Amino acid sequence: MREEVAGFEHEAAPPLARMATAVLALIGLLVSTYLSLYKLGVIGGLTCQVGSCEQVQASPWAEFLHVPVSLWGVGAYVTILAIAIVGLQPRHQHARWVPLALFGLSAAGVAFSGWLTYIEAYVIEMWCQWCVTSAIIITIIFLLSIPGLRQAR
Amino acid sequence: MFGRASARNPLPVKLRRNSVPRPAPERPRRSSLTPFYVILGLVLLAGIGVLVTQMRPKGGGDAVNQAANTPPLTNDQLQRVQGISRGKADAPITIYEFADFQCPHCADFAARLEPVIMERLVDTGRARYVFFDFPLGFKYSWLSSRAGRCANAQGKFWEFHAMLFARQQEWAFAKDPVEVWGPFAQQVGLDQAKFESCVRSDQFQKEVTESSQLGQSLGVGGTPTIFVNGRRVETPTSYAEFETVVRGIAPAAFSDAPATAAPAGTAPAAGGPAATAPAGTAPAAAAPAAGAPATP
Repeated sequence: MREEVAGFEHEAAPPLARMATAVLALIGLLVSTYLSLYKLGVIGGLTCQVGSCEQVQASPWAEFLHVPVSLWGVGAYVTILAIAIVGLQPRHQHARWVPLALFGLSAAGVAFSGWLTYIEAYVIEMWCQWCVTSAIIITIIFLLSIPGLRQAR
Repeated sequence: MFGRASARNPLPVKLRRNSVPRPAPERPRRSSLTPFYVILGLVLLAGIGVLVTQMRPKGGGDAVNQAANTPPLTNDQLQRVQGISRGKADAPITIYEFADFQCPHCADFAARLEPVIMERLVDTGRARYVFFDFPLGFKYSWLSSRAGRCANAQGKFWEFHAMLFARQQEWAFAKDPVEVWGPFAQQVGLDQAKFESCVRSDQFQKEVTESSQLGQSLGVGGTPTIFVNGRRVETPTSYAEFETVVRGIAPAAFSDAPATAAPAGTAPAAGGPAATAPAGTAPAAAAPAAGAPATP
């Protein structure tokens, strides 16, 4: 009991980082949803001040395993958002699986976004500002998840 | 009460355990999550708001309204640049399209709507279709526009135009699109060597630039942008929607034809905005000068 109380006083994963993760995941989710709505034809065009968003979205690399990359993003961000919110609840704040899951998912996201950014830079030589935004978001989420790993030890 | 229990008369074990004086459990020093949920909610609401504003209005009504409210092009504007034309020069309807061969929307428009427009409006003599280059910022926007003009120089613009749009994915990301276009050129009956030499030169740069400048002067911002008898219309999502708009602008051209069966929601409403579009204001007489087939 005492340990538990002490645990509240010395939280291994700062809730602030987890809150920031949740907010970033929500922003990432909105960006992915925007791109998905475009891919599904609900939105007629993409607002794109920088780069060639629509051409990037039309490229063969905008799909992975026959599913639009943006939809993969929706799935990933929904999962990260859910884990971050669950991980903020007192019952799960010290659970080992929360920092591990956040680290694992965001690491996979960074690897995937890195590959897509490479494609944009060196293969199709066009940029999509929303894809870059998502890549930045997942990188920050990944960086925020690193200190939480101490809790998982 | 529990403090009075003596060693001689101990309290039952259960009570004793409860009676052990101990510090009251410290309240965990956690801040409330309410502000966090409020922030999350605000971000969500703002995001949904932005997404909703990005939704493109669908349905013919808006397109017809836009057509009715947009001032028609002036003769001067129409005569400044030559587009690439198809159809009868004296057709009552003139459709102008500003497009970019590398634009995905244009490829979609060319695949889904253009063939129907050609079949039902152009080939029947009701309309003339004029294509204008409006290269955007894609990697091969300008090159493909010039390639179209090179195909036009050999009299095969429309065949090559269809090929470029239909197989956009094959060249849009190629290192050297001209190599990809070579076989396309051959397939549509172009002299491949002549075509490639034309594309690799700077031929038709002037024409593409002028076409682009015309689009800019008309306020074209994206592609495809469509004008019907000089009036800008919302890019249609279906043929039925497009015909509704065209009938609103030039009803006389359809005096011999009943309305095309349109899907629910896209049929013209009697007395609706389509009926208020001022007929006869379109500079049809001036159109041939602009839409005459481009000279090689």
